[in-house]
Amino acid sequence: MKYHIGKFYLSVILFCCAVVFSSFVRMMGTADKLAMPYKKAGLSNEQAAAHLLSRFTYGAKPGQVEEVVKMGLEKWLKKQLDGNLEDKNLDQMLSQYDAINISNSEVEDRFPQNPRVTRWAIRDGYLNKDSLNTGNNKYQREIIQNYMKEKGYRPLQDLYRQFFNQKILRAAYGENQFREIMTDFWFNHFNVALNKTQCASFVPAYERDVIRPNVFGGFEDLLLTTAKSPAMLMYLDNSSSSGVNVPMADQDMMSMEEMGMSSEQKAKKKERVKKIQQQIQNKKKQGGLNENYAREVMELHTLGVDGGYTQNDVTQAARVLTGWTVAPLGKEGYGAGSKALIERLGPSGLREKGFVLDGDFFFNANRHDNGEKIVLGKKFPAGGGYDEGVELLKMLAHHQSTAKFISKKLAVRFVNDVPPASLLDRMAKTFTSTKGDIKSVIITMVNSPEFWSEQALREKTKSPFELAMSAVRSLNAEITQPYELYSWINRMGQQMYYYQAPTGFPDNGQYWINTGSLLNRMNFGLALASQRIPGVKLNLPALNSNKEPESVEAALLTYSKLIMPERELGQTVARLKPMLNDPNLQQKVAQAAEQNSAKKDNNNSGMEMQSMDKKPAKEEKMKLGNGRKANENPVIKTQAGTNTMLAQVVGVIIGSPEFQRK
Amino acid sequence: MVSRRAFLKGGGLALFGIGLGGIPGFLADAVAGTATPSLFKKKKIMVCIFQRGAMDGLMAVTPFTDDYLKAARPSLFMTAARGAVNEKPLIDLDGRFGLHPSMAAFEPMFREKRLGIVHGIGSPNTTRSHFDAQDFMESGTPFKKGTTSGWLNRAVGLLGHDAATPFQGVSLTSSLPRSFYGENPAVAIRNLADFNIQLRGNVAGAKMASKSFEDLYDQTSSDLLKNTGKESFDAIKMLQKTDVKNYKPENDVTYPTTALGNSLKQIAQLIKMDVGLEVAFAESNGWDTHFNQGKDTGVFARNVNDLSNCMMAFWNDLSRYQDDVTVMTMTEFGRTVAQNGTGGTDHGRASCNFILGNTVNGGVVHGMVNPLSKDNLEDGRDLAVTTDFRSVFSEVADVHLGIENDKILFPDFDGKKIGVMRG
Repeated sequence: MKYHIGKFYLSVILFCCAVVFSSFVRMMGTADKLAMPYKKAGLSNEQAAAHLLSRFTYGAKPGQVEEVVKMGLEKWLKKQLDGNLEDKNLDQMLSQYDAINISNSEVEDRFPQNPRVTRWAIRDGYLNKDSLNTGNNKYQREIIQNYMKEKGYRPLQDLYRQFFNQKILRAAYGENQFREIMTDFWFNHFNVALNKTQCASFVPAYERDVIRPNVFGGFEDLLLTTAKSPAMLMYLDNSSSSGVNVPMADQDMMSMEEMGMSSEQKAKKKERVKKIQQQIQNKKKQGGLNENYAREVMELHTLGVDGGYTQNDVTQAARVLTGWTVAPLGKEGYGAGSKALIERLGPSGLREKGFVLDGDFFFNANRHDNGEKIVLGKKFPAGGGYDEGVELLKMLAHHQSTAKFISKKLAVRFVNDVPPASLLDRMAKTFTSTKGDIKSVIITMVNSPEFWSEQALREKTKSPFELAMSAVRSLNAEITQPYELYSWINRMGQQMYYYQAPTGFPDNGQYWINTGSLLNRMNFGLALASQRIPGVKLNLPALNSNKEPESVEAALLTYSKLIMPERELGQTVARLKPMLNDPNLQQKVAQAAEQNSAKKDNNNSGMEMQSMDKKPAKEEKMKLGNGRKANENPVIKTQAGTNTMLAQVVGVIIGSPEFQRK
Repeated sequence: MVSRRAFLKGGGLALFGIGLGGIPGFLADAVAGTATPSLFKKKKIMVCIFQRGAMDGLMAVTPFTDDYLKAARPSLFMTAARGAVNEKPLIDLDGRFGLHPSMAAFEPMFREKRLGIVHGIGSPNTTRSHFDAQDFMESGTPFKKGTTSGWLNRAVGLLGHDAATPFQGVSLTSSLPRSFYGENPAVAIRNLADFNIQLRGNVAGAKMASKSFEDLYDQTSSDLLKNTGKESFDAIKMLQKTDVKNYKPENDVTYPTTALGNSLKQIAQLIKMDVGLEVAFAESNGWDTHFNQGKDTGVFARNVNDLSNCMMAFWNDLSRYQDDVTVMTMTEFGRTVAQNGTGGTDHGRASCNFILGNTVNGGVVHGMVNPLSKDNLEDGRDLAVTTDFRSVFSEVADVHLGIENDKILFPDFDGKKIGVMRG
């Protein structure tokens, strides 16, 4: 009996332990509960919702603040953090693009790079190499175009364009806004660029398969998948980095004690060692080792520049990662050399010999330096193969410096340009205790008073992409030609996917705001509101339930509130009012509008309207000539006048300093 | 004429760490016109032209007495000897090097010792990837990818004074090139005429919007937006003083109607408008001549013709400013010594560059080109790099712009100079 009681108590104790332990594990392993202290910061539900929307979406849509309040802020954010809301509308829009879901191999087969096409065209007898020219030879272009058509090849530019377009549509219309924001964040953190042709073809799949699915998970997964992706392997040259693979038997021999060896053996060994060393020397001459990725993975992806590593660590890490390269892709694409090897060995042969073929990634054991290395004090014994690279990356992912570096980068993105140390410490602690769980770090951030403080509200400057997206979202614009927005974003100073340096775009207001870019932001506002961006349609009256504002002043008030919910608008309104009320100006603008309306009547389709940089002066005159005279219809005249005035007001709001902030 | 003083950045100075106490004394003096505005003492302008794609230096400036080269390039080699039928000879510069005949425009400048050439110039990093080599040349750190800034941006920071106008560093490109990445102000302008508030077909609307924006930015609580806004509108006003669209070059100069010609023409305009330009950047494309690059005619000839004609148009247009201006070309690497199977050349190592200016140690082919032979070639195939590009860039920046801090301009560089500049 006593024994039984004892057993009972023991099991109770064990059970309690298990409960405590499991909750402990939960705390350690996954997200903390959301408990956002915005009320303590003196914010209303609406103000807090507006702040959340400004940080975790590409801008509030009309009425969205109210929606979030209604749903409950915590619930809304939780759904965003899960990031798997149904997205029928977006899927429907994206279905028009046939190349946004194809694999890297398919890209190689269907969108081959230009030099390759030229080579093939020569090989297949379409082009004569003696008549070939690098100049803009029309005849040659036509031949190549025909060749591509016949073979079913398409220009890589088409793929890029679809890629840009999907990015814009996702940001403008996707339900999983936070996932898109984080996709942008991590892409920029693990930057690759289309300017480098060697990696360019693989960039679309990189964003789609490597970044987007992993944005809220473990940092370790992100680091590993980026390290193994063709885009990153090519962009930072690890694909071409190689060391000397000395068979393990020889390694042993090199280090084997010479005691007990016959002189003949010694001589033989000496000769062999010499041969190996010669091999190593030759490799060195060829510049086999490439340190670019090893350096940047520490400086930019994990530890940070002051993260406590030396040049020697860089070299050693580069040795660890030798042999990490891209698998053969496509029929005639990248990696023809290793294709033969892979086919010869077969799956089991590959495994046996230490090769790893994992999707688009290939660990080429023959190019791996399998000697001993020491990185950051940690020893990687000889013969570690592929696994030691994984081990190295895991070590970097969980390093204390990484916890700090990543926490700071997140806080700079979501709080302000100079986030307070107290917040960073808290986030870094969570990073460490959850083994780099990104979602948990974000929850710690939003649960912190610093996230809701006055130093955070409206303190970030929108990037050009964010500005454009928040503008189309706030106006419920209909985008039929997303590429037009891409061009505008470029003009405002952000050539998306073309940031050459592995640092990614700097994330601070100073970088985005300069003279030229600021003017273009203002011009963007005006062009958008006056419907001069082709393929972006607005219905301004519909935003206000088709109620025509009674006066220009009323329009200013109504639309400022619609476009910038929960903002202090006194300054903006006070500044603009006198100007809008200037009868002289009104008249002038209305007159201009009359002329404009004549044009607009004729090309309301939006398609024909030209963006300002294309300046088809002749066309313009032609259209005017075809148009009715404005004063033939006085009703249209006044309406057009009011609409132009309304567009003008909205344009100024989009270009205003307040709207540049988030 | 609007004085450049109009640009003094009142509140903006706080941004640059001068302090909260208002305008410092020396600036106040400058504003009052009682002292020479020390901000503008130096108004030298360095113009850089990046030839993207890697120029074949051996064809631009050919060591024409070299038999190895002649043998390696059976259908590309040219000679300075006259008398060949249907082929223009090279311009004999010094008995050893010959300038491509399509660059005849350069010859007088070379003879007047105002054009210098550096041969065997390139990067210590042996990469033959356009992207990587351009990246390294523009960041100025040939072994480090992660350098956040470009060397021209650092040059702007080392000029020793705040930007008086937004036009201190200007790139005539649609987006900022790697050379200008960084913390110091630099602006990319493709077209000066676009530098305005625009609302096509509605001039009155644009004017009103402009006025509204100016007022809004003037009153905003964000210093960054406020100061940049003020700068922008000051800049617009300055550009509007001249008719940028109908610019008339001086001395009957006609710029080639090419991308480079258009860029250099606009740089000349900015220089004449006196808007504080000190570092300018332009691009020239199409140098990646893998296929049939031609000899005295063809793609390469057209390219060098454009380069030299554009540079000379610029130079002659700026006759009044020649003491202030130095133009320097650069390209990421050179091309193989031997021609390839398609009448072109592949990616190589060293190339040459051109430096034009009154303080240039001109009339000389600087650097070192050893007699070509298998043993003298890098990796047995390419013209060896004997002059680090940083040596030349830093010397031009030193002498022309007075930038002495090579440690910042080119970190990890040993600082050796080869005397391409006088002084």
